[in-house]
Amino acid sequence: MKINQKVLFLETRNFLLGKTVLIGAICLILFGIYGFYHGSQVIDRQQKTIGSVPLVQKNHLQQIVAHGKGKMVGTTAYYPFFYTANPASPWAKFSIGQRDINPFTLKVKMLAIEGQLYDSELTNPLTLLVGNLDASFVFIFLFPLLIIAFMYNVISEEQENGVWKMVLTSSESISEAILNKLFVRLAIIFIISIVLFLASVLYLKLPLSFPTFRIWLVTTLYLFFWFVLSVIVISAGKSSSFNATVLVSIWIFLCILFPGIANVFVNNSIPVPEAAETAIKQREGYHEKWDQPKKPTMEKFYAAYPQYRKYPVPEDKYSPGWYYAMQFSGDLESANSSEKLFQKLDQRQELSENIAGFNPVIAAQQLLNKIANTDLTSHIRHLKSVKTHHKQIREYFYPFIFVETPTEDIRWDSYPAYKPESYFADSITNGILAIILWSALGLVISYLMFQRNFIQIKDTQNA
Amino acid sequence: MELKFIRIIAKQEWNSIFRSKIPLALYTVLLIVSLLAAFTGWQYVGKFNQQQAAAREEVHEHWMKQPERHPHRVAHYGYLVFREKSPLSFFDFGLDSYVGNSVFLEAHRQNTVNMSEAGFSNGMLRFGELSMAMVLQVLVPLFIIFIGFHTVSGLKQNGVLKILLCQKASYLEILLGKTIGLTAVTWVLFLPLQLIGLLVGTALLSDTVNSESFIRVGLIVLLYGLYFLIVTILVVAVSAMSRSAKTSLMVLVLLWILLFIVVPKSAQTLGNSIFEAPDKIAFEHAIEMDVSKEGDSHNPDDPHFSQLKSSTLKKYGVDSIQALPVNYGALVMQEGENISSRIFNNHYDKLIGIYKSQNSVSSYLSFTDPYLAIRNISMSLSGTDFDTFTEFQKQTEKYRFEKTKNLNEIHLTQIKYKNDGNQKVSAKNWQQQKEFSFQSLSLTDNLRNGMINLAALLIWVLAGFMVLNFISSKRKYQL
Repeated sequence: MKINQKVLFLETRNFLLGKTVLIGAICLILFGIYGFYHGSQVIDRQQKTIGSVPLVQKNHLQQIVAHGKGKMVGTTAYYPFFYTANPASPWAKFSIGQRDINPFTLKVKMLAIEGQLYDSELTNPLTLLVGNLDASFVFIFLFPLLIIAFMYNVISEEQENGVWKMVLTSSESISEAILNKLFVRLAIIFIISIVLFLASVLYLKLPLSFPTFRIWLVTTLYLFFWFVLSVIVISAGKSSSFNATVLVSIWIFLCILFPGIANVFVNNSIPVPEAAETAIKQREGYHEKWDQPKKPTMEKFYAAYPQYRKYPVPEDKYSPGWYYAMQFSGDLESANSSEKLFQKLDQRQELSENIAGFNPVIAAQQLLNKIANTDLTSHIRHLKSVKTHHKQIREYFYPFIFVETPTEDIRWDSYPAYKPESYFADSITNGILAIILWSALGLVISYLMFQRNFIQIKDTQNA
Repeated sequence: MELKFIRIIAKQEWNSIFRSKIPLALYTVLLIVSLLAAFTGWQYVGKFNQQQAAAREEVHEHWMKQPERHPHRVAHYGYLVFREKSPLSFFDFGLDSYVGNSVFLEAHRQNTVNMSEAGFSNGMLRFGELSMAMVLQVLVPLFIIFIGFHTVSGLKQNGVLKILLCQKASYLEILLGKTIGLTAVTWVLFLPLQLIGLLVGTALLSDTVNSESFIRVGLIVLLYGLYFLIVTILVVAVSAMSRSAKTSLMVLVLLWILLFIVVPKSAQTLGNSIFEAPDKIAFEHAIEMDVSKEGDSHNPDDPHFSQLKSSTLKKYGVDSIQALPVNYGALVMQEGENISSRIFNNHYDKLIGIYKSQNSVSSYLSFTDPYLAIRNISMSLSGTDFDTFTEFQKQTEKYRFEKTKNLNEIHLTQIKYKNDGNQKVSAKNWQQQKEFSFQSLSLTDNLRNGMINLAALLIWVLAGFMVLNFISSKRKYQL
């Protein structure tokens, strides 16, 4: 089909002259800039804190060691915290995700890990409730509203003020006229999204690498989905008010109601009583050992660390080796519920990804968080790395505890350094596929509806 | 002004809404959604509290079943407190999902309240939770917009407004009639539903229903009634200022997005940028610095503790700590606890002060956005607001301090200084300790905390009527 360039040009000019386009686009860009500012502020603050960790750690250790002079390592090792950090990926500024909720500088002692793993960050809960106005919010929540504003009156307004009849008589093909209109709007939506995205790349200093491309891909496909959705609504051939009402209702359904119901559903179908259980089990598992004979506790420890069997642990008095074996028992006994907790969280993630298959809004948000490494799964990965680090720390100090060594005789700062999780590029195929499939389905539906409502229509009255 | 006209117009508005199908369809959707929200909320709170109560009982049982132990051992064994949700939290989830659910209380340390639901949730929670309050606060205004956008502008379009104005009715009477008619519809459709939901839910969830719970429920319903009135006035005002029904719908939808999505989010992020709160590392570091300034119990030459030593020796008239009739170790420990607890509380109060300043931005903005007003006051009355949570944290810290102090007391009097670590005392000593039970904020406290928001709601009502009066006096809005 040839598209008449002049008609296309006129249509473009006509659309651009309307105030909606200009005001809407400016508003969106302004919110975008605020979103960039907010995103980088939140993440920069976190990164600054993370940057302060090495010095805090150094001073802390020095102080502890100074206090411990003249005592044995077994006594001193009770006190120091070892910091870990979950550095933000460069894309976290685009999509803050769960990063504001989850702690990002967990510190652990050599004591049982399960009691330390879930320490929370200090945050204002109302801020968490209200949520972030970051770039992903602008793309996922606000941009669709602009699309709605562009699309709700595409043909209906011309029908309402009588221009449509003129279009029908003057243009050679109705479908061409409709396509022209849609194409112009799609192009302008695309241009605005490109501008906004490039602005985010520049402002947030996103690296020009594959994940940035992925973010672009997700946002573009997502916006195309909204375009298709509004095409379906206008293809019904109803009035502008009707279209606007329906589109806003769909927006509310997909962005607010559906996720709200889905969230209740996920929480109800996969409750996590293991959270409390882990805390209780760990505490009991460790503390009851104080009142029990030392041998069984030690045996559990030796099963994992047989090399310490040769050091004496007196049955009738306190010894540091026994103390850390008790702590170790606490973790052993809560290991089961702790593992279950992680499994449940994985299940929650899986279930919500399945649900997202039915709602591109959720899918897009999950994809962005995934790409930015700011979702729950990324946090769990971090928690697992903290567990590993805790193990390394313990194993570094055990020899000095069992072979009674004075505090000043060892190097306290040469414990194995914490290695943060590196960027994890998870597959985003499923989510992308969901958005594409819904869009494709929408295109088919709207094609059929246009055929029925506009193109094959027999205007009997004016025949 | 003639009441008769107002009444006729109100009645006419009422009839016209119930005549058309769209309001009924929308109402059915809202009805289903809010019943679903109320039911799942009620079910969830019930289940959650059961889970927390079970954990609480388990911990209590463990506590009571402790064998003979050294009191300081018990102080480190500590206690786990589980936060339970308030009975009205099924109606308004408020901050509940974003604050911790359990806290470990032990000697020497103030732990954070951990394991919030948000921490165990992926991104879906951030879209907003579906509660009955959310439906009433966010979706009902949209319903009012959809049933009311054409209420005056439609009359302009079809010329009926001119006819009405010719029949002795004043424009103000028409606007008031429209407002009253629309408000009556919303009240009848939603307030009884809300009242019944609240009463049934509260009765089922709380063990004791007293007059205060009834007053709370009554107040909530009353304030939501006011809120609906405000939204209706806004809708009528915009409709009266618009030339066509289409324009009024566009303006109202835009206004909805602004007041319900954009302003709340911007307000809170703005508050956070203006009042910068310390992160955990900085917060803990500041406390550590203050504590070490005050006195270091590990340091034998520390002036504070050497002073404690000499005054204690003088008090009992002995010359060495071994000769004291009490356990000096316990005394030092309690002194350390006194210092760190006092300093922690100071810093914590400061932190809460910063958070409150952050939140005050949205409180003051409730004068420009009625949604913020009802959101805040509804959370307060439902016991799911910031102040309730802060109160929980404070009470647990107080409980921790008392418990530790009590154990140090036992240590002081019943454990000999010599060979301290090898002695034990009977479990009876700590079995009599009171169990933690959270005293929620009283209604007066809730109202005091929500003062600004209450004032904002009242001013909105007054200002709304003044705006209607103003609009009615302008000729250009009659055309």
